[in-house]
Amino acid sequence: MAHHPGNGLSPRSSLVAALRRDRYLYLFLVPVVFYYLVFRYVPMGGLAIAFEDYRMSTGVWGSPWVGLAHFRKLFQSREFLNVLWNTVFLNVYGLIAGFPVPIILAILLNEVHNLPFKKTVQVLIYLPHFISWVILGGIVINLLSPNTGIVNHVLKAVTGRTVFFLGDSAWWPTVYVFSGIWASAGWGTIVYLAAITCIDPQLYEAAVIDGAGKLRQVLSITLPCIAPTIMIILILRLGNMLSIGFEQVFMLQNVAVRGVSEVISTYVYRIGIEGFRYSYTTALGVFQSIVGFAMVLGANALSRRITGGGIW
Amino acid sequence: MTAGSGERAFYAANYVLLAVITVTTVFPFLNTVAVSFSGERAVLSGEVAVLPVEPTVDTYRSVMKRSPILVALRNTAFVTVVGTLVNMILTVLAAYPLSKQRLRGRSAILVLITFTMLFGAGMIPDYLLVRSLGLVNTYWALWLPGAVSTFNMIVLKTFFSGIPESLEDSAMIDGANDLRILLRIVLPLSLPALATVALFYAVSHWNSYMNVLIYITSTAKYTLQMRLRQLLFDSSMMASITGTIQDSQDAQSVAQESIKAASIVIATVPILLVYPFLQKYFVKGVMIGSIKG
Repeated sequence: MAHHPGNGLSPRSSLVAALRRDRYLYLFLVPVVFYYLVFRYVPMGGLAIAFEDYRMSTGVWGSPWVGLAHFRKLFQSREFLNVLWNTVFLNVYGLIAGFPVPIILAILLNEVHNLPFKKTVQVLIYLPHFISWVILGGIVINLLSPNTGIVNHVLKAVTGRTVFFLGDSAWWPTVYVFSGIWASAGWGTIVYLAAITCIDPQLYEAAVIDGAGKLRQVLSITLPCIAPTIMIILILRLGNMLSIGFEQVFMLQNVAVRGVSEVISTYVYRIGIEGFRYSYTTALGVFQSIVGFAMVLGANALSRRITGGGIW
Repeated sequence: MTAGSGERAFYAANYVLLAVITVTTVFPFLNTVAVSFSGERAVLSGEVAVLPVEPTVDTYRSVMKRSPILVALRNTAFVTVVGTLVNMILTVLAAYPLSKQRLRGRSAILVLITFTMLFGAGMIPDYLLVRSLGLVNTYWALWLPGAVSTFNMIVLKTFFSGIPESLEDSAMIDGANDLRILLRIVLPLSLPALATVALFYAVSHWNSYMNVLIYITSTAKYTLQMRLRQLLFDSSMMASITGTIQDSQDAQSVAQESIKAASIVIATVPILLVYPFLQKYFVKGVMIGSIKG
């Protein structure tokens, strides 16, 4: 589809003519292709060290081949299985508690007809999206501090007790999940708001004539109409069940809750970058990518079965 | 109509609910600002909500005087400006040729590029590459590995392909080459899209923490996020700042929590200053990227 027919010239001379005509365009692409090869594809070759005992001195080519030894070690390690469990648990918890929030928010926002109010709400709930997790994490830590935080101040006045939310393994996952909702739910509404505005208004008019109330309209018109969008985002989320962003966890975790807060990305950083176990952590990364890829394919197939449509 | 009162109740409940959600979202920020301006006793008792209690600006005075936050602020500004420039040059150089349907080999290059959206090597192989290139502890380690965001490239490519061919054709007839056309015609027509993408990049540089943690080893090169995290967690660094207050007799004492809060505020203000633009352009960018990408 990208090729124009040569203007009556022989294929080769038309190719030469096209190359000459677009020589500047190709020149522009040289640094770009170079960038992708060096910084995106060379590291993929570096995945080979998952099957080696990699040493800095011998490099990727010279290090001894050990086959699947690191993968075997991985699945015999209780530490890794714990990290894997934490990652999946936090993701599932986050999905169940967090996934519906932007959908509900978008539906509520769509029913607001006072434009200044709507704009104000949007501007303010989008805000956390633009703030780094170092800052958001710092705010959460101060807010929930057992001695000086306002949350515990109020809690103490009401119940007489304080809770060390971030130092308590029972509470930590909840803080993680709800601070994540705080940070991203507002921004997440944009995609759904766009989908909702694409719905034909005549559908609602017809529903009103039939005597349908607001809830009926949401259940019978809005949700079915934005179902494809919901499905796509759900598939992408399911494909990422094994990956958790590094920064949020790293900011909120501490030694007291390591057992419930260590996830794959923070674990790879700690024992890979800080502990120099490059081959072992790369094996972990390979496992993560393969499972993630399989999850996307599986979720997509499931979505095709259920709704008749997937991402591809 | 019978639906009237039910509908009114729905709308009222909706406004109240959204107002509560919005206030809840903003409250942590307001609380942080209030803590940064409050006196020690009030902060330590945890009673500060959204208004400063026993207001003082001493906290800011000591943060400005002793804290390495200001050096880090300068470093971050440098990293952001140069990094965004590198991003923009490479992204335009990718997006412009690839927006041309006529370009031979276009599909092959697009496949090469978009595949990286599906599959990346991960933290360790990326780190080993940067290390073997000798970029560790240089800002190039922050600029080069993410020099092109494929998502941003697609946003820009989509925009470029919407520019009428006729404009470029007439310039071509006048003997202008593709470089001149890009600089004189295409880029000036694309300023909103360029602004969107530049803001995407700039914010991610400004907020970047993990890359600095992994690649930057000398404290003199630390960026804002790195220093801030250190300040929030490392009590020895905190002591060096609170020390200022004990030195000067006139200032009243300041709580560590206020120092942290003030540093958070200082790090957030630059983002707030550009937030009106960010908000406007980001929403547009997300739309282009998600619908046509």
